[in-house]
Amino acid sequence: MTDTTAQQPIIGSVLRASTVGFVCGTRSQDIVHPSFGAFVRTRHGQMGEIDVIGLIHAISIDDDPLVRQLVLANNMTPAAARDQRENRMVPVEISVVNIGFIQYDYIYHNLPPRPPLSLDPVQLCDDETIMAFTERLDFLRLVLNTNDVPTEELLAAALLHASNARPEAQRYAFLVHAGRRLAGLLAHDPPRLQHLLRLINPN
Amino acid sequence: MGARDPLYPQSDNLNDWFPQRDTSDVLTVNGLRLGVVVGGSLSKGLDVKLDRETVIEDLAVGRYVVVRGLNKRFFCMITDITLDTTNPAIRSDPPDLTDQFLREIYSGTAAFGTLHVTPMLTIDLEAGEPRPVKTIPSHFMPVEIATTDDVNDVFGREDATHFNVGAPLELEETQINLDLKRLVERSVGVFGKSGTGKSFLTRILLAGIIQNDVAVNLIFDMHNDYGWAARDERGSEAKGLKQLFSSKVAIFTLDEDATRRRNAKYDHVVTIGYDDIEPEDLAMLKTTMDLSDPMIDAAYELQKVWKRDWITHLIDASSDDLDMLKEMIAASPASVQALQRRLRRFERFDFLKPHALDDSVRKIIEFIEQRKSVVLEFGRYGNALEAYILVANYLTRRIHAMYVQAVERALGDENMEPPQLLITIEEAHKFLDPLIARQTIFGTIARELRKYNVTLLVVDQRPSGIDDEVMSQVGTRVTALLDNDRDIAAVLMGISGSAGLREVLARLDTSQQAIIMGHAVPMPVVVKTRTYDTEFYRSLGSAPAGDGGSQRSKPDRESRRIR
Repeated sequence: MTDTTAQQPIIGSVLRASTVGFVCGTRSQDIVHPSFGAFVRTRHGQMGEIDVIGLIHAISIDDDPLVRQLVLANNMTPAAARDQRENRMVPVEISVVNIGFIQYDYIYHNLPPRPPLSLDPVQLCDDETIMAFTERLDFLRLVLNTNDVPTEELLAAALLHASNARPEAQRYAFLVHAGRRLAGLLAHDPPRLQHLLRLINPN
Repeated sequence: MGARDPLYPQSDNLNDWFPQRDTSDVLTVNGLRLGVVVGGSLSKGLDVKLDRETVIEDLAVGRYVVVRGLNKRFFCMITDITLDTTNPAIRSDPPDLTDQFLREIYSGTAAFGTLHVTPMLTIDLEAGEPRPVKTIPSHFMPVEIATTDDVNDVFGREDATHFNVGAPLELEETQINLDLKRLVERSVGVFGKSGTGKSFLTRILLAGIIQNDVAVNLIFDMHNDYGWAARDERGSEAKGLKQLFSSKVAIFTLDEDATRRRNAKYDHVVTIGYDDIEPEDLAMLKTTMDLSDPMIDAAYELQKVWKRDWITHLIDASSDDLDMLKEMIAASPASVQALQRRLRRFERFDFLKPHALDDSVRKIIEFIEQRKSVVLEFGRYGNALEAYILVANYLTRRIHAMYVQAVERALGDENMEPPQLLITIEEAHKFLDPLIARQTIFGTIARELRKYNVTLLVVDQRPSGIDDEVMSQVGTRVTALLDNDRDIAAVLMGISGSAGLREVLARLDTSQQAIIMGHAVPMPVVVKTRTYDTEFYRSLGSAPAGDGGSQRSKPDRESRRIR
């Protein structure tokens, strides 16, 4: 797991964090890799043994005074726009909801005991980690109970990521398995279940 | 990590703090797992949520399942199957199940099947003895289809006292073995609506009893079904008991011509003398012959006047004779005349003669003493209910009286007691009607249990017509399909867990399926009964057809006597 993990691109560094999630900042040109619902991991700065696993639920690009001025400028040159994007003062923020952690190679589907520290590097999970983490689907409930995120869309995107991390022959079975877990978790809310299943339906 | 203190594991690994319980030894699954117990009670039965993989259409009420508890196996019968959903809202907006993905997800999760099973008995994992169920398994214990071993643990193997009557539903490689000793020590009932194979069921039971020599039978064979070859509803011929056990069965007949026409080999022709019929014998015919109480009273008075030949006298009496009677008896002339009209019906019965040619009762007793079963064929008189009731009652009263004397004389010495006698009667509700059951010999036999070594095998299609008290004494009930609610209630009276069995009983196949419950089986069981065919004959080790024709076999004088 570790070998391939090292090769995964670093998408940013932790800006602020709590045990339920964190925000990492990055340059604007670095946001080609992360996508909504992707699995990310961050290595705990001090303890070293705990990797926090999370799902990207929002990518936001905040404005700054220069952008405001450029927007109002009459004739913005492409060079100015490029300069603003590459050298902007405010980082692109990638919001992550924590869904588990890895300690001594054992996967826990629970909130991490401590949040990552600021400036801890954040990288996308490799397929092997995603497969290992999604062998059990206990994180689904954690996501469903998260406030302030579009849970159905986030879960659907995450499950499709997890499905695509697998060999093609296993993808359908994985989605069916996940769908069954969702059917149990959303038994009280059939419309929400139907919507979610529609989002992950491979047919 | 070295030696660990379980209270304070020196580790950051959460598994050391919260070790996972190893449940692999508890939830061992041997058979085909159906689901898990999710609720229920001892009195109302258990609810089982079916696993997703379980195909609900493959299940059927009446089938056995086993719940494997921690220390016990619980044997249960499926009594109901239902469809359920986790949320009622799904019913109003069902998902589109033409989509395979959705179908695979919803089936068994949001929409699932449940079973209702009734616990029947338990087997301790250590003791191994089946016991009545007094508790229930805990939540989420696995439920499996009973395996052959499970069934054998309950019903035992076939041996000298256990007779194979068929296989449980969907487990055709195994067999249900009736405990014949327990079967005959209390009365037995074979019930089922017309055309459900009561006669075949009875014949299988009788074959087992005769083969294993657990009782001697006296069979009042109304429709000539048991003694010699009979045709079933599909027209194929089935061997009679005499053909299967030529040396252990004798055929007596009331209608020599009919028996001869069927090429049946009989041992004795039964005749009954008018002079042997007592007013008590008529009392049982009250309903069938529409006899009133004054008519029965008149019969007693006539017997006093004309002694033993009172029936012959009455039948032959002219109106002048009847006039003369007015002064001799208190009964009204109208009652006497009515009785005379009724008794003249007896003239149609050729087996009734002024004086019997020989003592048929004595003859039957002689065969019983030799442990030979007697089948009494009624020939064409089988359709005359009054003939059937009269003869069955006449013979049984006298045989029973002899048995009572013999048992009382034996003073508890089992070696001196006469052999266990099982009397088979058909249309039993005519004998055991609540109005007459208390006075008749059959009601007495049913009530006194095994005290005098005589029990009944009643064959009937209207069990609701049988007196409740008698019904409660019927130890083993073998029931084919019944669809009348009152009949079902009557058969299930006094059976524990009967609420669930009601569904099972009403849904039996119309042939070759029966539910057996009561004294001879540890728990109620639905069986696909054995086919009465050449394989069955072979298993009994019977001689080839035609061998049963020993002409008028002579009683063995060395046997125990009933006097």
